[in-house]
Amino acid sequence: MVQEYDVIVIGGGITGAGVARDASMRGLKTLLVERHDLTDGATGRNHGLLHSGARYAVTDSESASECIRENMILRRIASHCVEQTDGLFITLPEDDLGYQATFIESCRKAGINAFAIDPKEAIRLEPSVNKSLIGAVRVPDGAVDPFRLTIANVVDAQLHGADVLTYKQVTSILKDDSGRVTGIGVTDLHTKQQTKYYSKIVINAAGIWGHGIAQMAGAQVNMFPAKGALLIFGHRVNNMVLNRCRKPADADILVPGDTICLIGTTSSRVPFEEVDNMNVTPQEVEVLMREGEKLAPSLASTRILRAYAGVRPLVAADNDPSGRSISRGIVCLDHETRDGIPGFITITGGKLMTYRLMAEWAVDLACKKLGVDRKCETAEVCLPGSSATPQEQPRVGTTIGQRAARGRHGERTSQISLSSDTDRSIVCECEEVSVGEVNYAIEKLGVTGLVDMRRRTRVGMGTCQGELCACRAAGLLAKADGCARKAISNVADFLNERWKGIRPIAWGETLCEAQFTSWIYEGVCGLNDSQEKRIQ
Amino acid sequence: MKFDTIIIGGGLAGLTAGISLVNKGQKTLIVSSGQSALHFFSGSFELLSSSDNPFDAMKSLPVSHPYSKIGKDNILRLAGSAVPFFKSAGVTLSGESSHKRVTPMGFLKNAWLTSDGLLTVPADGTLPWKKAAVVNISGFLDFHSPFVCAGLEKCGLECREFAVTLPELEKLRHNPTEMRSTNIAKTLTGEVLDKFAAEIERVSAGCDVVILPAVVGIQDESECKRLCSLVSRPVKMVATFPPSVPGIRIQVQLKRQFCAAGGTFMLGDTVTEGVFEGGLLKGIYTRNHGDTLLTADNFVIASGSFFSHGLVAERNRVYEPVFGLDVLASDERGEWFATDIFENQPYMSFGLSVDNEFRPSLGGVTIGNLRAVGSVLGGFNPLKEGCGAGVAILTAMRVAELIS
Repeated sequence: MVQEYDVIVIGGGITGAGVARDASMRGLKTLLVERHDLTDGATGRNHGLLHSGARYAVTDSESASECIRENMILRRIASHCVEQTDGLFITLPEDDLGYQATFIESCRKAGINAFAIDPKEAIRLEPSVNKSLIGAVRVPDGAVDPFRLTIANVVDAQLHGADVLTYKQVTSILKDDSGRVTGIGVTDLHTKQQTKYYSKIVINAAGIWGHGIAQMAGAQVNMFPAKGALLIFGHRVNNMVLNRCRKPADADILVPGDTICLIGTTSSRVPFEEVDNMNVTPQEVEVLMREGEKLAPSLASTRILRAYAGVRPLVAADNDPSGRSISRGIVCLDHETRDGIPGFITITGGKLMTYRLMAEWAVDLACKKLGVDRKCETAEVCLPGSSATPQEQPRVGTTIGQRAARGRHGERTSQISLSSDTDRSIVCECEEVSVGEVNYAIEKLGVTGLVDMRRRTRVGMGTCQGELCACRAAGLLAKADGCARKAISNVADFLNERWKGIRPIAWGETLCEAQFTSWIYEGVCGLNDSQEKRIQ
Repeated sequence: MKFDTIIIGGGLAGLTAGISLVNKGQKTLIVSSGQSALHFFSGSFELLSSSDNPFDAMKSLPVSHPYSKIGKDNILRLAGSAVPFFKSAGVTLSGESSHKRVTPMGFLKNAWLTSDGLLTVPADGTLPWKKAAVVNISGFLDFHSPFVCAGLEKCGLECREFAVTLPELEKLRHNPTEMRSTNIAKTLTGEVLDKFAAEIERVSAGCDVVILPAVVGIQDESECKRLCSLVSRPVKMVATFPPSVPGIRIQVQLKRQFCAAGGTFMLGDTVTEGVFEGGLLKGIYTRNHGDTLLTADNFVIASGSFFSHGLVAERNRVYEPVFGLDVLASDERGEWFATDIFENQPYMSFGLSVDNEFRPSLGGVTIGNLRAVGSVLGGFNPLKEGCGAGVAILTAMRVAELIS
């Protein structure tokens, strides 16, 4: 029997995850389909900045107001994904101090609590800041873990009955004779098997890839891929978000996150052909280093772990196909009224910060079309992991590993088995990930390989970038699915995925570590290309 | 302090050179920062594992390769003396016939000399057993039986997996990061080893051979031999993920041998400066010896590659940090790497530029009494060619000959 859904959501980034959660909470029978793994696109390749909106206050007041509203909502509903660090917008001697007053004024208009503080006070609050600063404004910026946030949305969608499929690439948009969209055709990337899924509404939430999805449905959305490169440092230099108090420019935000900090981003248009394979250039690394050192001079001597780049979907206004008037705001397209394609909606533009609002808009539209009268509750109901009050938090042990797990999974840590010595033993020493947590990710969080595992648990995200933990985790994967060969080829993929981010910044200790990793895997373990191909 | 030869670096290359020189009656000093690539040992030394016929394949290596500089006849002679050399140093290696080692991921790789007690597969791929008991230690995450079994099953061995534990090993497990190879090896001695042997004997009933992770015998070979004698079936070991117990054992034994033969080993010390005069290195200063100049007639640099800090990469420069010797390396970072991690990575071949007698240069001037050995050398890719240990051992032996 053909399973029919109310809504199919294409794209397992934060937007798609948010749409799936919202739709399923409103009682819609929902399917979420992702081409690779959840968070594989721009969601997993950004700053992880919980914008206060201050950055947009002067240039885009609408985005700024959206940001601060969503900022306050996320602090409440996603407390286990958010770090309430606050942020500073600093003025350096080379910047115009006159901008500060305009900036504060614009922030206040947008509802952002921004106030100037004495530069000495700024240094006291954030000792890593450039000591030559001449001005500082404190704003309610923070850090948000986009991996955790996406997984929490997906888990909640599943708890509300949604189905989630990963590694399924959409290859066609199905239509009936009248031209109404009726579902999607997908190809499983592992088995190559083709399947069709039917629904009343298809929501395109595929980020920059949504351009191609819209084309499959016969609609043209004018998107422009904008590449943003970032660097991750090996430890957490700053505890507050650091920004430059000037017109937004390249590499002027330094965000702390978990054990690391990130500088970014650059911004450059790239052709569509490149969006699946973003490489960070030496020039981008130079810019990021140069500007990063101005925010926090100690970055010059801090080890860089990785470089990576994401692609933002910038959307041109419909009356401007040239792309000169680009909006960073939310774009929700009803293709029935716009293009005469009933049953198809595109939600795009926007940003990580506004994913929930984007979802609300898209699901509001879907509900209207379906004749469903249910209010959006995603701003009030806390996400799984963040639902417990402090008094209700599960008791966890006192080890760093157990506390780290609670940081990653909130009150759902109680589902991680830590009852035996085996469960408690550590797989990833950099990030203190236990065997129990790895097994929890395999069983409950849809992990199919080591790259997925990294996104769910931080295995291999630390200073060693998977030197020993990759193989340990692969051993556990092999045990779970009974296929040693698959797990080994998975290690090869994982190492190449890590190498892609290490290569642009491989000097100093990073190169030592990379050489060591190669020695272990290719030398000691004998893993290489030809062997990997032979076992496939 | 005056020596005949001072060696910088106490890994496989430095110790091989050191033992060779003290054996020849030289007053020898090794200055070692303490790290050695032997800690990440595969269980076997490789000569040129990318080829099934390494001695033939050497003929087609470029002239810049350390093997080409040693020369074919010297290689044959020195390689032939390696097993007796290590035997007399207290390290038993098997390498009479060509064989393969079994990697922790279950792959078979060509080997040259393999540490005693480790599982090897003859070149024809046949093993004398039918049924193997692959026995891991409960909770040990740096050895995965399924990987090893998958490899051995390709050699026609029927594998059965077991996990054993003992109360003494359980204690290690209470601390989530203690279950590592070296800690297990320190536990599996004396009476605990007897109990361990009894457990292995029990679970492996009906099997022809027992295969274990290499977690026994960190101090010397006797515990491995005793374990074998306590089990009625042959016991063979397979290398684990680092740290490597057999590697540490070899490192400890070679250092012990060097000191017993009269060598001086300064552990945890670092060279801070070299005094050069007229194309010669007169002496060195070290961190622990302050303003005492350590002098010698000859010097050997055996400081290793990047991960041993024998080479250092900055954003746009690769240099040798002890003396600033001339290196074979590109200054364009874009040229250091290949896109795929498993491709030939150019940075792996970076290292010192030396003449045919392994003398490096400083600012274009050859240093007449300084020689370089092991992975600090440039012009070869130890990983792709599978020759890291072979180059370390043979360049060290060759340089010891050239010096004395």
